[in-house]
Amino acid sequence: MRSSEPSRYPFKPRARLERAFSAWARSRQGEDCAPLTLGSRRIYILPTRTGVAAAVLLFIMFLAGVNYENSLALLLCFLLGGFALVTMYECHGTLSGLEITSAHAGAAFANGHGELMLGFQNASSAARRSLRLRITEATPKSFDLAPHSACMVRVRYRARSRGRQRIDRVQLSSDAPLGLFRAWTWLHLPLEALIYPAPVRLRALPPPVGRPQRSERERRLGGEEEWAWLRPFRDSDPPRRVAWKAYARGAPLMVAHYDAPAGARRELGLRPLRDLPLESALSQLADWVLECERRGESYALELPGRSIPTGHGVAQRRHCLEALALYEA
Amino acid sequence: MAADALSGSDAPPVESTAVPVASQRWALLGLLCAVLLNVHHTAAWCLPVAMGGAAWRLWAAQQPSRLMARALRIGVAVVLTLAVLASFRTLNGLDAGASLLVAMAALKLMETQSARDWYIVLGAALFLLLAACLAAQALWLTPFYAAVLWLLCTALYALGAGAAVPAPGLLLRTAARSLLLALPLAIVLFLFFPRLPGALWTVPREDEAVTGLGEQMSPGSISRLTESDEPALRARFDGPLPARELRYWRGPVLHNFDGYSWSRTHADLGEPPRLAFFGRGYRYEVTLEPNMHGVLIALDMPRGVPEERPTAFPTFDYQLLDAKSMNNTISYRLESYPEHRSAAALDAAVRELDLALPRGRNPRSLELAQNLRLAAKDERSYVEAVLDYLRRGGFSYTLTPPRLSRNSIDDLLFNTHEGFCGHYASAFAMLMRAGGIPAHVVTGYLGGDWNRFGNYLLVRQANAHAWTEVWLDGLGWVRVDPTAVVAPDRIDSNLDDVLAAAGGSRRRASHPPWIAAAALAWQAANAWWQDQFVDFNLSKQLNLLGALGLKDRDVEALVVLLAIGGTFWLSLLAWRTRRAAAARPHDALSAAWRTLERALRRRASARAPHEGPIAYSGRIASEHPELAAVLLPLARRYAQLRYGPECSAAELERFRRGVRLFTARLPR
Repeated sequence: MRSSEPSRYPFKPRARLERAFSAWARSRQGEDCAPLTLGSRRIYILPTRTGVAAAVLLFIMFLAGVNYENSLALLLCFLLGGFALVTMYECHGTLSGLEITSAHAGAAFANGHGELMLGFQNASSAARRSLRLRITEATPKSFDLAPHSACMVRVRYRARSRGRQRIDRVQLSSDAPLGLFRAWTWLHLPLEALIYPAPVRLRALPPPVGRPQRSERERRLGGEEEWAWLRPFRDSDPPRRVAWKAYARGAPLMVAHYDAPAGARRELGLRPLRDLPLESALSQLADWVLECERRGESYALELPGRSIPTGHGVAQRRHCLEALALYEA
Repeated sequence: MAADALSGSDAPPVESTAVPVASQRWALLGLLCAVLLNVHHTAAWCLPVAMGGAAWRLWAAQQPSRLMARALRIGVAVVLTLAVLASFRTLNGLDAGASLLVAMAALKLMETQSARDWYIVLGAALFLLLAACLAAQALWLTPFYAAVLWLLCTALYALGAGAAVPAPGLLLRTAARSLLLALPLAIVLFLFFPRLPGALWTVPREDEAVTGLGEQMSPGSISRLTESDEPALRARFDGPLPARELRYWRGPVLHNFDGYSWSRTHADLGEPPRLAFFGRGYRYEVTLEPNMHGVLIALDMPRGVPEERPTAFPTFDYQLLDAKSMNNTISYRLESYPEHRSAAALDAAVRELDLALPRGRNPRSLELAQNLRLAAKDERSYVEAVLDYLRRGGFSYTLTPPRLSRNSIDDLLFNTHEGFCGHYASAFAMLMRAGGIPAHVVTGYLGGDWNRFGNYLLVRQANAHAWTEVWLDGLGWVRVDPTAVVAPDRIDSNLDDVLAAAGGSRRRASHPPWIAAAALAWQAANAWWQDQFVDFNLSKQLNLLGALGLKDRDVEALVVLLAIGGTFWLSLLAWRTRRAAAARPHDALSAAWRTLERALRRRASARAPHEGPIAYSGRIASEHPELAAVLLPLARRYAQLRYGPECSAAELERFRRGVRLFTARLPR
């Protein structure tokens, strides 16, 4: 958290130290792959500022006990010291034995945010509290794990430029139970996110090509309802394709499904954007892909060395954006 | 990239630091209880101020982020500091410090918002607990201290849990478990952490009004003392106890008489004259309660100076004075001989001191003394004559004597005829001096109750007594107790019995024996606590090492013992947390399957992470065909029970039996 704050000083010893330490930890631990169980050899622990303050307080109390030659005060200090050490073990135990079941980096648009999804499982009979997932330059995410439970944690990362972005390390930490100590571990998971070009609207959508061909049946039904058949609604369906009229007549939520591209078919490619720099052109193409999806239109993408046939829907969108993300001139 | 990093649009938002009301309540409860423990030695306004602060905090918790204005807070801080100054005239010292801490903690409640503020409040509460320990270490208080410690640790857990505060029961259990785990380490540290021989710096002490013997004795001062049940000292004897009539505990010796009261002399008359001891000696250890007189009370007559008190020295009148103040309970070992004789002649200065009488006071008594002295043929018969006068003069022994005038002896001998030990000692010593015999009053204690649970003799303030010593040529100082002739029973029985027989009123009623036994046991427990815990110091630590057979190398032995104890404790902790963190199946079915998996891992191969039970058993069966016949049905059964509709207890038991049979017959 602190290292992500822009520093006023050009030289950041703390950040440098942390980088050096994590590099050492990486060389020591090697690469990870899910599923994995956190062993105690890879968990590091240090007192927090609160912990240091508590230690100073305890030392003052101890001095008072020694000076007054008071046995009860000394016993109190020793008890509190032991208590702090017990919580240190508990802090370490919060991470030790935790299982990471899955790790996946979701795609994102350049300069936007993507999501990392990490699956955690707590097989022990004790709750694991105040867990905190952090990647450099991003908001940390806090979560708890009940006994015998699993959860999927999403943490946002900052997408940089188009292409593949590797998330080198994820830090998992906890300052449970009292905040006197903070235990942490670095996860070096194979997390690679695909970064799509940032969509930028520079030009209008190219005109559709090809004539809409109407079947006998469609002609009979009339111009508006050009769907071939209906299928049940799924969450990912755009609302504009819901058969609202059928719904109004009392039918369940259905989505119009087209056998073949019913209306406009657009061919997207770099040809009309030759005057733009490559990255801008790719950004424009990404914007067009999104626009076509918004309109529910079919589209094809033609890139040098890669062509994606006409289609629409989530898979088509992903194929196209992936092609744009990985395109190299 | 740099631009991205500096754009700041994405700076992590400040996490919500609002402390849940449940955590606040825990912390407030802990703080109030800690204040309550200090209520006896802090200023009277401390508890109301703390309660007011807590009530304000609880009320403010309902309002969104309500804080007291800064100027008002500073004003309240100044007022409270002045209040401490007004109460104690200082900010230094335990009582004033604790009061100031209460005031500042109450003030902190006015501005607590973040978790950090609440940590400060809990830190103050822990300090208050420490202050309570410093102020009083009585055995009956320790359960309360422990309860408050438990409460404060629970509050720490509640605070550390963040937004999702667990249920009170769980929090209390967690804190109790951690404290119990910490206890072994605390005991090891307590026993073996090297103690310092003294304080690091002197701390100001409040002069507490300690009941007990003092600088002077006026008529009635001893009888006031006898109303106190507080212990004065405890003595453990190595051998048999001295007989009742020998239990004279020698305290301050009084030489100066002004006609009404006796007081100590501050004249330094050199070393004590040598004494010849004979007869049987008694070796014993005294545990002396805090006192004002600065005398190491000893059984009459002590020989030598206790090793434990290097600051102690004997005076010319055989008091063991200690230069170090006795604010705490102290213990020392001594040897005493009831039979002794002065081996040297009486020093002239001492003679002069012990013959001095105020001019013009007690004229009738002086006249009486002169008459008796003329009638007596020698000093001894004069002593006998005076005692005889006291015995036959119709004097009675009472705890509530009438008030005496300035000429107290005249008043007693010719007017009231009623008095307590102090009165008679005073009168006798005066008559001796008037008859030309050097005499002084010795104050101390007489008697003591045997505690069979603790094996010690308990001497209370109620045992306070005064007697005299007179110088007889050829014998030296001789103890004469005039009370013995007035009330002979006083010497060899309890004060209560004497007074009961004399019809005197006494508060203590007779109790059934079990209550008396319980009281004795409680006293013994307190004595044990005092000796073994409260007074555990460097010398007791070294004694402990000696008992462990490590006498010679004290510091090294302590370090080694600490290291051993600490290592044991840490490995206990590591083992515990490892066990807690280990994956444990939470149902019997998984437990049974895990047993099977473990057995197969040892004798065949482990299950790969991607394999389910069926695939795993299939692979094992193909690798070890001899296992197939049992393993495959077992795995299928497990899958059915695990993923099927429901698993009855009988089916589960059958499956577990199957697993047991299978694992028992696995080839080695």
